[in-house]
Amino acid sequence: MNPPPRREKRQQQLEELCAATLRALSGEPRVRYRGGRLEVQERHFPVRAPHLHPDPEQDESRAWRGVSDSLALRLKHSDPALVRQVLPAQPIERLVFELLEQLRVESLVADCHPGVRRNLLQRFEQWSQQFLDAGQAEGHVGLLLFTLAQMSWILLCGGRAGEQTEMLIEAPRLSLLRHFGAAFGLMRRCRHHQVEFSGHALVIAAKAQELIENLDAELLDNDERKVSEITEKTHLAFALLLDVDQDGEGEVNSSGAAEGNSRGSSNAFTYQVFSRDYDCERHAASLVRPELLRELRQRLDRRLAGQGLNLPRLAKRLGALLAAPRRDGWAFAQTDGQIDAGRLSRLIISPEQREIFRHEQERPHSDCLVSLLIDNSGSMRNHIDSVALLADAFSRALELAGARSEILGFTTGQWNGGRPLKRWRAMGQPANPGRLNELSHVVYKDAETSWRRARPTIAALLKSDLFREGIDGEALLWARQRLLQRDARRRILIVISDGCPMDSATHQTNQQDILDLHLKHVARQIEQEPGIELYALGVGLDLSPYYRNSLELDLSRSLDNAVFDEILRLLKGRC
Amino acid sequence: MTDLNFEPASRLVPVRELFGIDSSLRVPVFLTPDEHVPQIDAAYRFNPEVTLAILAGFTRNRRVMLQGLHGSGKSTHIEQVAARLNWPCTRVNLDGHISRLDLIGKDGIVLREGKQVTEFQEGILPWALRRPMALIFDEYDAGRPDVMFVIQRILERDGKLNLLDQNQVILPHPSFRLFATANTVGLGNLNGLYNGTQVLNQAQLDRWNIVATLNYLPQAEEVAIVASRVPHLLARHGEPLLTQMVAVADLTRQGFASGDLSTLMSPRCVISWAENMEIFSDPALAFRLSFLNKCDEAERPIVAEYYQRCFDQELTESAFPLLALA
Repeated sequence: MNPPPRREKRQQQLEELCAATLRALSGEPRVRYRGGRLEVQERHFPVRAPHLHPDPEQDESRAWRGVSDSLALRLKHSDPALVRQVLPAQPIERLVFELLEQLRVESLVADCHPGVRRNLLQRFEQWSQQFLDAGQAEGHVGLLLFTLAQMSWILLCGGRAGEQTEMLIEAPRLSLLRHFGAAFGLMRRCRHHQVEFSGHALVIAAKAQELIENLDAELLDNDERKVSEITEKTHLAFALLLDVDQDGEGEVNSSGAAEGNSRGSSNAFTYQVFSRDYDCERHAASLVRPELLRELRQRLDRRLAGQGLNLPRLAKRLGALLAAPRRDGWAFAQTDGQIDAGRLSRLIISPEQREIFRHEQERPHSDCLVSLLIDNSGSMRNHIDSVALLADAFSRALELAGARSEILGFTTGQWNGGRPLKRWRAMGQPANPGRLNELSHVVYKDAETSWRRARPTIAALLKSDLFREGIDGEALLWARQRLLQRDARRRILIVISDGCPMDSATHQTNQQDILDLHLKHVARQIEQEPGIELYALGVGLDLSPYYRNSLELDLSRSLDNAVFDEILRLLKGRC
Repeated sequence: MTDLNFEPASRLVPVRELFGIDSSLRVPVFLTPDEHVPQIDAAYRFNPEVTLAILAGFTRNRRVMLQGLHGSGKSTHIEQVAARLNWPCTRVNLDGHISRLDLIGKDGIVLREGKQVTEFQEGILPWALRRPMALIFDEYDAGRPDVMFVIQRILERDGKLNLLDQNQVILPHPSFRLFATANTVGLGNLNGLYNGTQVLNQAQLDRWNIVATLNYLPQAEEVAIVASRVPHLLARHGEPLLTQMVAVADLTRQGFASGDLSTLMSPRCVISWAENMEIFSDPALAFRLSFLNKCDEAERPIVAEYYQRCFDQELTESAFPLLALA
């Protein structure tokens, strides 16, 4: 029996499963989790309601069901433009409004989805319990918000609070109702109308903000020391939510996808390169001595033989995945079809002979080019044995399946900036120089070379002392360019990497994390333009913050057929 | 050839009366049904828009093509309209091997007075053309485009059919009608769902006067259809169960549309699930046998999630127990 997958991996599977259900329930196909955060139509979707932030350390996996169901209802029943229009600016007011809106959509769950209803119920109860257990309801802001959440939940979703909660919220509930009883009472009736509802919700939110401010001021008069302690605690409880929100807006800006966002243009990101003079693209054969290559190849072959990979099966499955039927020649000597003039004479000689027909054959044909782009940064040295094996086996299977493949690698020519850094220093160290190192792009196998001929050069992957730093964004552009230059019906780019882009000189000399941003930018660009399908395989790391279609590989275990099955599933999922 | 005498479709009946659709159209109905008229399925529910399109085909002699996902009841829809009009009807299933000879006719060897003689045997097309007949080409997009040019001529309203082998020109009977059903709109297998479909010739596609789309019905209508098909289930478990079943089917369709699943539940599949439930009496088991086992193994956990949402019950295929994080 296989050991259970690692935690990050389980988290990723969980998110995938939840996102799939979210897509089906909401009817919005462009929903996905990216780096643990929800994205709708390639844009970050801010989740502000407090009960929709499950904690992987604490919550059981079922909590994610409730969260994704709640978000599905949000997408289905709430117009984000309308929310954006009326969303208050004050943090507490905004939080209350979002909570009420979320509870509104949760109350609209259809009768034919009893499972959704239960998931929502469980999630809210769980959150309430955790809130109480963590002692967050002790402060005045915490208690007020908790009471408001509970009473709205009871009113809108028909929830039932426990005895402990009932006792706790009894007094604050009465006092709250004195302040906004009228608006609160009307909420349930108009929960089907977002506009009407948000009118009432805004009244309640404004009142809540006002009450908290009054309470703050009152406490301030009484005891200065205590209040700072209390406000700190409650603000800590909600700090997370406020942070998420701000972070989210920043993300939208950096991607450049924001429209109508005032900060969008000022924060726009441009990637620059200090010098391209020292960049080079080399063939792996020119980097390693032929004798060493032969030796490395033998090492690779020995490992390959020990793995027990079923390459013909892999090739067959790849063929099924990548191929499309194409008319290809004739099948002769058939018992039906079109008459084959060449065989008519046989009919005359022996009338019993009926196999005189022919028909056109359709054969699978994969006009497909797959490019494997392998991160050759220093940290990959630990994994390169398995990755080389994977690349070699994959390339061979692709060839058996009738598709072409490329194996490319990327690193830098020097550690710590190399010649561009020296030149930059000589020029008086201007600010924000951009990328400050020499690129080294290595071709291990190009599309025109067959696997058999490229065997020794693929083994050059094992010479890992050539591995230095990694500049992913530009490497992606390079691989993209190579793919586009070649003629193929389908082009697939698979990136294998174990981490984010890293170049110490560039990081030290630039203000922003430009390599990271550039990678995100380039990946998004390739994902959005037609022509190339982009996939990423993270070696022990979740690459979903950068790539839309990513898979985490666990190469600590042996590289067996199951790993390839997972990769095939990734390729299949989005074709 | 023999002269064929058929009574014309003489009686005009309002659509409102016959199909319960709000329209002032009156349709011709044959007085007596013949052997080719399909059986009336009293439980059949008509989609108003598609019914009107088909009726336009019958009354105004238009060529109507129905396009839609599998199991949405395209062919049955035409048959049931024909059944109510007492209009004879034949279905021809096209596939990649149907040739010109099958459609037009061929010389065959027959025994006459103890001697072998060759005689022309008419194919389905000339046979149907001579009589009041609604000819339905099922899976029209599976037919090879080069063969389908045989019907190019008769796709026109008064198109005659020229039997080259016989030096004969057949004038279609005034009550001859032509229909087709297809899964795709003639652009081939784009979503990977319909293997074996062809890219149709656009010049031919252009000759179809009316192209109606029959996709899956709104939830309430689908529930009513399933209820009418499997009345015992309705009596025993009531409507909520059926609504939940259709809700699962809806989720699989959404899942298919967003690329999470490579199969989906057609209304036909929901009905067979309901029928299987009468046999196995356990919804989960019947679901597994009717749909879940048709899915790719990797997709079963997703379907199990859908099932949990609609039935509040875990299937054994669910991946959740394995994904405990804490």
